[in-house]
Amino acid sequence: MAFDAIFQPIQIGNLTIRNRVVSTAHAEVYATDGGMTTDRYVKYYEEKAKGGVGLAICGGSSVVSIDSPQGWWSSVNLSTDRIIPHFQNLADAVHKHGGKIMIQITHMGRRSRWDGFDWSTLLSPSGIREPVHRSTCKTIEEEEIWRIIGDFAQAARRAKEGGLDGVELSAVHQHLIDQFWSPRVNKREDQWGGSFENRMRFGMEVLKAVRAEVGDDFVVGLRICGDEFHPDGLSHDDMKQIAAYYDATGQLDFFGVVGSGCDTHDTLANVIPNMSFPPEPFLHLAAGIKEVVKAPVIHAQNIKDPNQAERILEGGYVDLVGMTRAHIADPHLIAKIKMDQVDQIKQCVGANYCIDRQYQGLDVLCIQNAATSREYMGLPHIIEPSEGPKRKVVVVGGGPGGMEAARVAAERGHEVTLFEASEALGGQITTAAKAPQRDQIAGITRWYQLELARLGVDQRLGTRADEATILDLRPDIVVLATGGRPYLEQYPEWGYSENAEESLVVSTWDILDGRVEPGKNVLIYDALCEFSGMSAADYLADKGAKVEIVTDDIKPGAAVGGTTFPTYYRSLYQKEVIMTSDLMLHKVYREGDSLVAVLENEYTGTQEERVVDQVVVENGVRPDEALYYALKPQSRNKGQVDLEALYAIQPQPSLSEEGEGPLLFRLGDCSAPRNTHAAIYDALRLCKDF
Amino acid sequence: MLDTLLPILIAAALALAVIGAGRRVRLWRQGRPARVPLLKGLAAMPRRYLVDLHHVVGRDKVMSNTHVATAGGFVAAAALMILVHGLGLAEGVLGWLLLAASATMFVGSCFVARRRRNPPSRLSKGPWMRLPKSLMAFSLSVFAVTLPAVGLLPEDFGGWVVALVLSAVLVWGLGEMFFGMTWGGPMKHAFAGALHLAFHRRAERFGEGNRSTGLKALDLDDPEAPLGVETPSDFTWNQLLGFDACVQCGRCEAMCPAFAAGQPLNPKKLIQDMVVGMAGGSDAAYAGSPYPGQPVGEHQGSAHGPIVAREGKALVDAETLWSCTTCRACVEECPMMIEHVDAIVDMRRFLTLEHGNTPNKGAEVLDNLIATDNPGGFDPGARMHWAADLELPLMADLQQVDVLLWLGDGAYDMRNQRTLRSLVKVLRAADVDFAVLGNEERDSGDVARRLGDEATFQSLAKRNIATLAKYRFQRIVTCDPHSFHVLGNEYGELGGHYEVRHHSTYIAELYEAGRLHFKPWKGGGVTYHDPCYLGRYNGEYEAPRNVLKALGIEVAEMERSGFRSRCCGGGGGAPITDIPGERRIPDMRMKDVGETGAELVAVGCPQCTAMLEGVVDATAEVRDIAELVANALTEAPEASAGAAQQSSNRPQAVEVA
Repeated sequence: MAFDAIFQPIQIGNLTIRNRVVSTAHAEVYATDGGMTTDRYVKYYEEKAKGGVGLAICGGSSVVSIDSPQGWWSSVNLSTDRIIPHFQNLADAVHKHGGKIMIQITHMGRRSRWDGFDWSTLLSPSGIREPVHRSTCKTIEEEEIWRIIGDFAQAARRAKEGGLDGVELSAVHQHLIDQFWSPRVNKREDQWGGSFENRMRFGMEVLKAVRAEVGDDFVVGLRICGDEFHPDGLSHDDMKQIAAYYDATGQLDFFGVVGSGCDTHDTLANVIPNMSFPPEPFLHLAAGIKEVVKAPVIHAQNIKDPNQAERILEGGYVDLVGMTRAHIADPHLIAKIKMDQVDQIKQCVGANYCIDRQYQGLDVLCIQNAATSREYMGLPHIIEPSEGPKRKVVVVGGGPGGMEAARVAAERGHEVTLFEASEALGGQITTAAKAPQRDQIAGITRWYQLELARLGVDQRLGTRADEATILDLRPDIVVLATGGRPYLEQYPEWGYSENAEESLVVSTWDILDGRVEPGKNVLIYDALCEFSGMSAADYLADKGAKVEIVTDDIKPGAAVGGTTFPTYYRSLYQKEVIMTSDLMLHKVYREGDSLVAVLENEYTGTQEERVVDQVVVENGVRPDEALYYALKPQSRNKGQVDLEALYAIQPQPSLSEEGEGPLLFRLGDCSAPRNTHAAIYDALRLCKDF
Repeated sequence: MLDTLLPILIAAALALAVIGAGRRVRLWRQGRPARVPLLKGLAAMPRRYLVDLHHVVGRDKVMSNTHVATAGGFVAAAALMILVHGLGLAEGVLGWLLLAASATMFVGSCFVARRRRNPPSRLSKGPWMRLPKSLMAFSLSVFAVTLPAVGLLPEDFGGWVVALVLSAVLVWGLGEMFFGMTWGGPMKHAFAGALHLAFHRRAERFGEGNRSTGLKALDLDDPEAPLGVETPSDFTWNQLLGFDACVQCGRCEAMCPAFAAGQPLNPKKLIQDMVVGMAGGSDAAYAGSPYPGQPVGEHQGSAHGPIVAREGKALVDAETLWSCTTCRACVEECPMMIEHVDAIVDMRRFLTLEHGNTPNKGAEVLDNLIATDNPGGFDPGARMHWAADLELPLMADLQQVDVLLWLGDGAYDMRNQRTLRSLVKVLRAADVDFAVLGNEERDSGDVARRLGDEATFQSLAKRNIATLAKYRFQRIVTCDPHSFHVLGNEYGELGGHYEVRHHSTYIAELYEAGRLHFKPWKGGGVTYHDPCYLGRYNGEYEAPRNVLKALGIEVAEMERSGFRSRCCGGGGGAPITDIPGERRIPDMRMKDVGETGAELVAVGCPQCTAMLEGVVDATAEVRDIAELVANALTEAPEASAGAAQQSSNRPQAVEVA
């Protein structure tokens, strides 16, 4: 029997979990409506349960108290009884499919923002400022401590009355409980600080109060970190001591262990390891905790693959594996293992689009799965075959939008031909994967390659489709996803020319795709501050170039999310890449063998020059519209998308109208440059009704 | 002159026949004793011949009529000949009747001859090629010598020359028909066949709709009884008699999946090898298709010599015995009601129990069964892992239910777990009062028994019977036809008597009782594969088809379906012993599926599912009937709110399926 270890049920408290795979707590950022879980929230978890997950712990950082603001990340609000009926819907939806569901509850202490909603005064053991959220706080008073302990107990009661299977107390990510634990933050000299027992007291009182409120017939777990990774913070040995101390009470049903603290930008990047990290980088920390506790241990960090999960469980390092982003990418992961369709699992690539949106207070979405968290809108994870006419669909462009369009149309049962001008699928993903530590982004393409082959899509690689080629196939529908070109001609002063010999600037694509040899002394001008500029800088530095990356924005990489810019910075600083902000590229000219880049300070107008041998410009993408305008007059719908239908996830009315010529749609960057998710989302919502 | 000669010839032929019969009976009596009611058997014989056997023979109308004419004509002609020519009672109608009988026989002989002109490969050649001539010789000569007796020709017509020629032809005919019948020749089938029907080891097979397919238990407490069959004489005497009944028609060969796959098995040859062994000698005279890949003439044996040599060659190679899937296609097809599968398992028992020589994964599987009570060697405590989220009621908790759901070892198999989950969903939708044994269930013993390990089978069976005895239930339902067969047909001998239903049967009943409602089928073409252990072993061909019909599916039948269904290759431990052939049985079956144009093949057996899904580049998907039903479930048009609510509170979870 394959995957025995994954499919061995486990007892947590009085609860039987059907397998060893957990979707661990994360902020979903769509428990809107004053912290009450919504239909969207319920459907998101129901899909995971339907897909076979053993246990879902929902509601990362769900608050127990009124002065732990829930609005910033729209987290679940357990400080009021109003939540109870909402929980009942959630619990029923998950239980119906055999899954179990718990919620993480917490008081975030200083780790929040005060400048909104109720303008709460944040609290912390010693009133020390929190750097990641730039938040100040007051020193918590004894009365407040006891109030919050009581709030925890009431919140747990509400979870129980709502029919959830348990609660996870968060003592991780520097929330209030572990703010008390950590001598880095707790400088108190009363009974709540100082000695080990005193620092443990708050958490222990919370646990006692919660257990007293819910009784033995309800699961209560504790999520902790394995090592704060701060010289003045809690070490792994400290965490083992803490875990053993709480475990000895016999009142905890499980531990969740996360490697790394996260109250700096750098440590935060460890917590949700992006694609630059090796698999399960912090498993040893969770295994260390497991050594000293009796209760089962859950560990989630960069566990994405069923074989990896099986290996970890078989080795006995931990009792349950969290595969949280893995489930965001594919909530049917478990079902696909059981269906012997492991190759069909859409595997998380660690792009961290999900968590980086969350840190910006945006709803959690998957870069490659547009159905995730849109289940409530009717976007399907499993595409059902069409019962309507079988159509001939031609997709042009093998980037993410085109691949998704081809996949969805083929799943609908249509005859699909996909043209791609280059020799391989992937589009800009292929370019992005060339950068150091970014190769795993190619996993998105790999999945599409497998799926398109499985679905029998006619793939014409290395074929640039023109008007005649397309119309010769007599298609019913043409989907254009032809992408675009780097936009280097915006300012003639930059000296861009289509003739590579004459051009004074090259694009990041030229560099990453290897069309242009890396220079020795390179200036990158990055108007976007997204991945491409940082990747090009990292790539060039990796090849031994001296690199300066300049932007007119706040800082290079400013638009890269909170869990990924730190890993770029680690790499760039180590390679002595200079990062300069507030300068615009005014002009480039040739002087002898060198190039001179004239930079102008946005705020003073002062100009300065750099003498380099290569100027790389990242100025975004210009859509490739030629084919669209060639086909548009002959198309039945003149290339127009009915937006009301599109946004309402309804079939395009043109699909059921009679007329001459094929239907024509365009997706992704060939319409306007956006990102991978946008291209895939448009493709899915457009093609799902073909 | 004929007047004088005929009575002498007839008397001599009868005397020789008696001598021959004595020899044959001695050969059979080398076998072990078997308790058979001799007189009752003889009395039942005509009905068994005329009704039961005729059902099988009648599948080939031309040959059936041919046989009626030839055999009927012969029996009548022989009896009348004795009266007319032996005892001289030619007066009145007897002579005319004899003419009619011999003429009928002659017509039959012509059809026999016609078939022998271009005989299909399954028919044995050799002495069988002369049989039509012998039949004609007998019928013509009897006809001719009778003409004067009724006065159609003068007494001394043709003089002594004609009389001598006629006598010579008659001697040929009498020799083949009387002496050959008992001493050994093509006509032996009539003598042995008739007695075989009378003394058949499965008397319960006979009669309308009756079947007897369970293997017979070995008495492990009897120190005298051999553990299986080592030598031909270890068979019971009526088994040896049964082998002698073979007419070498090769219907078994034509249906045998192992033979078709080029594995070294041909049921007809196997039976003939037993005949050779009974009398001692080599198989060189065998004139039919050999075991694929094995030339004829290299094997020999004797009644008391080993059938399978420990080293080198004896009567039969072990690979021949291990190639069998126990699909019973041969038995089902055999017009002489020979029990090939019994014989094969008897011989396997010896190889496994005495030699400990079960090939390939066989020994490992048996070790697993002994150690863990399941063939995969899985943790016995993990049997219910697949249902951890289903909250299945346990017999231990309920004690008494309507339906005991027997899971089978498919509970350990991820593919079959989908079937089981579907079945649970169906039972819940119909609000069936059911429970499972959970970890108390053990392997039924099917594989152990087919691999010849009777001891492990009985150990498992007895423990399962003891477990089942603790609880009260109306019936057992299972999605595994092997468990179905073993529990329903083989536990009885060990004291376990249950009403067992295959899930397709039970689902059909639930549907007919209005307890299930289906959405109309929207998929493509569907064919249905009859599992051997459901169809041939248990005669259930209709229920699965009724369920499919209820789903709105019109089944595109394969050419080989129903009682002629081709095995998937998964039975009898064949995938475990894994004897190489030229092609794989499941591949052939999938090709059968492909020929119907179906996009989906419905099955009702975990083994079939596994075998057919293992086919590379298959043109059809494989779904258990339970899966199709579970996917089609819908609420009743006006469902009672109470029932709907009740079922929605329990986990459905078929989608994790």
